[in-house]
Amino acid sequence: MAKIIVYIDDKKLEAESGKTILEVCRENDIEILTMCHLEGITDIGACRLCLVEIEGNNKLLSACTTKIAANMVIKTKTERIKKYQRITTELFFAERNHVCSVCVANGKCELQKLGYKVGLDHIRYPFLFPQCEVDTSHEWYVLDHNRCIMCTRCVRVCAEVEGAHNWDVMNRGNQVRIISDFNTPWGESTTCTSCGKCLHACPTGAIWPKDIVQGQLNKNPGMITELIEKRKLGL
Amino acid sequence: MDKAEKRTVYISPVTRIEGHAKISIQLDADGKVEDAKFHVNEFRGFEKFCEGRMYTEMPTITPRICGICPTSHTLASVKACEMIQGTQPTYTANLLRRLMHIGQNLSSHALSFFHLSSPDFLLGYDSDPAKRNIIGVAEKYRDVAVSGIRLRKFGQELSERITGKKIHIMGIVPGGMAFPLTEENRKALLDWMPEAIATVQTGLSIIKRFHEENEQMVKTFAPIQTLYLGTIGPNGEHELYDGKLRFIDADGTILQDQINPANYLDYIAERSVSWSYLKYPYYKPYGFDKGFYRVGPLARLNICSRMKTPLAQQEFELFKKINDGKPVHGTFYYHYTRLIEALSDVEDAERILNDPQVTSTHIQHHGRWNYEEGIGSSEAPRGTLFHHYKTNETGKLLNVNLLIATGQNNPSMNRSVMEVAKQYVDGNHIEEGMLNRVESTIRCYDPCLSCSTHAIGKMPLKIEIFDTEGKPVHTLIRD
Repeated sequence: MAKIIVYIDDKKLEAESGKTILEVCRENDIEILTMCHLEGITDIGACRLCLVEIEGNNKLLSACTTKIAANMVIKTKTERIKKYQRITTELFFAERNHVCSVCVANGKCELQKLGYKVGLDHIRYPFLFPQCEVDTSHEWYVLDHNRCIMCTRCVRVCAEVEGAHNWDVMNRGNQVRIISDFNTPWGESTTCTSCGKCLHACPTGAIWPKDIVQGQLNKNPGMITELIEKRKLGL
Repeated sequence: MDKAEKRTVYISPVTRIEGHAKISIQLDADGKVEDAKFHVNEFRGFEKFCEGRMYTEMPTITPRICGICPTSHTLASVKACEMIQGTQPTYTANLLRRLMHIGQNLSSHALSFFHLSSPDFLLGYDSDPAKRNIIGVAEKYRDVAVSGIRLRKFGQELSERITGKKIHIMGIVPGGMAFPLTEENRKALLDWMPEAIATVQTGLSIIKRFHEENEQMVKTFAPIQTLYLGTIGPNGEHELYDGKLRFIDADGTILQDQINPANYLDYIAERSVSWSYLKYPYYKPYGFDKGFYRVGPLARLNICSRMKTPLAQQEFELFKKINDGKPVHGTFYYHYTRLIEALSDVEDAERILNDPQVTSTHIQHHGRWNYEEGIGSSEAPRGTLFHHYKTNETGKLLNVNLLIATGQNNPSMNRSVMEVAKQYVDGNHIEEGMLNRVESTIRCYDPCLSCSTHAIGKMPLKIEIFDTEGKPVHTLIRD
């Protein structure tokens, strides 16, 4: 790949053409907040946390889906970006029923860490308190829609890495839900291989093993990235 | 001449207890107490919103019912989960759970005695209400206040040094524990022992002195004749963590012995009343009118045959002499029995910490859903606590029933309030000190209304007096 010059947060950087802004930032230790990104699977720009400002473009663009171009001038930490990161985080918490104190993922949750990161001390939007189903039908795992933030990492990892495509998405807006097969209970799925990759990909307590309690959750999304790398190397 | 009127006095909020409540005292035309009620005016609804969750989440959710007795809730919950799985905790896990439970019991008893009740004993029932609190005690008896606060700290440290959290503990899991105790933490906890014993003995000397100086009042303070329920060990010994249930009657006759807590519904029924969020449980074979029973430290010492530790046993023998070996009914003796339990707690903690297996890392047996129903019980500081879960075949909760200690004391608290109100309240000359005595009846039981109603918030109290037409004529409110 050809090398091109980009400017990120006033730093002149040389990067390979074809890479995304997120990739270049991570290579150069420039912090970008993400939730829906998982190294190795397709990026979709769903969470809107990785928004960056690009000179000459009035829109904020997602760093995970925007490729760098020669002489691109990128800002990652403006007040405007911080404001939107805060809004996005608040909306994650307001949309469903996130109660960290009783969540199995308490202390191990990417959403909780994000809250701390953006300094979330209160939420300005009304909580929707939707009635969400807890799907306990699978023999080993639980899907709790109350804690899902629709990052769809489970959907992509199931389709792209496991090749099962058990998970998908139905509905729109705040009615959107992760579904198993054609919206059947997870335990009745004919495509799920019970591999558990979705559990490790899930950034919150939405997917978790049935027989553990708070303090015992051990998710390892890096294992998925490692699997993908090993496959690329034919290992 | 004006026609004499019936009136009602309200004490609202009731202070120095955990939760929200009020007392209403109905006076007749001559200003004599005709009726008195203890109203719990808060509601939470844990039983309802836990439906639909996985049963394995209950040991995490239920400690949030209460910041005073989270460990008791976790233990009752985790035992219910273990019944669902058909698992048993490991030997070391049982030791660690006992330690944590002792820690919570100690910290709760220290709170009840030193923070909430000692102002009455040390400063006087009729002293300035503005100073009749732990700060007032600290001003006049600094060492007592500091020791009491430190005893509470020790209790919480027992949890913190095992699981990393002082209050809403985690780490007690179906099948055992998630975290072992390190050798460093074991030693650090043992260092507390001399101080903890000394503090409990200070408390005992305060209450015994008060007993001596106020013999008449202590003996006649709501000595209501009730049944008693509590947990005992296999030989009838005092037990907090794990055991079987015993019911005795007011004469001390054993009505039921070595009952499996899972069969609690065979012996206990509940009824709602229109004027309180707190239900009225009763001993089923005796029916609603005669089946009132009490739980908590007084009940536990009334039902048990002996204490498990030597210093506590010495005090227990003195306690038993109060009524010649028969059950002690005086509500005021809750304070004394609370301190005897605290003494037993510290001694038992030392014994457990010296068990060579306490730092073992074999702390969990692993299990899965096997049975649809699970029932667990433990002795919370305020009395016997039951958690009862019903699940579907995937482990999802269909029904949750929590029978809380304070709820079981509710009928007796009402009766005690009535007795003390009749004894001390003169409707023609209402003084603050009279009402404080009525409030202190409630404090004897150390109720936790947040638990009992599964309710939210802090717990002030209000006393109201009504006239004959039901109009409030006097209200005492403290925030």
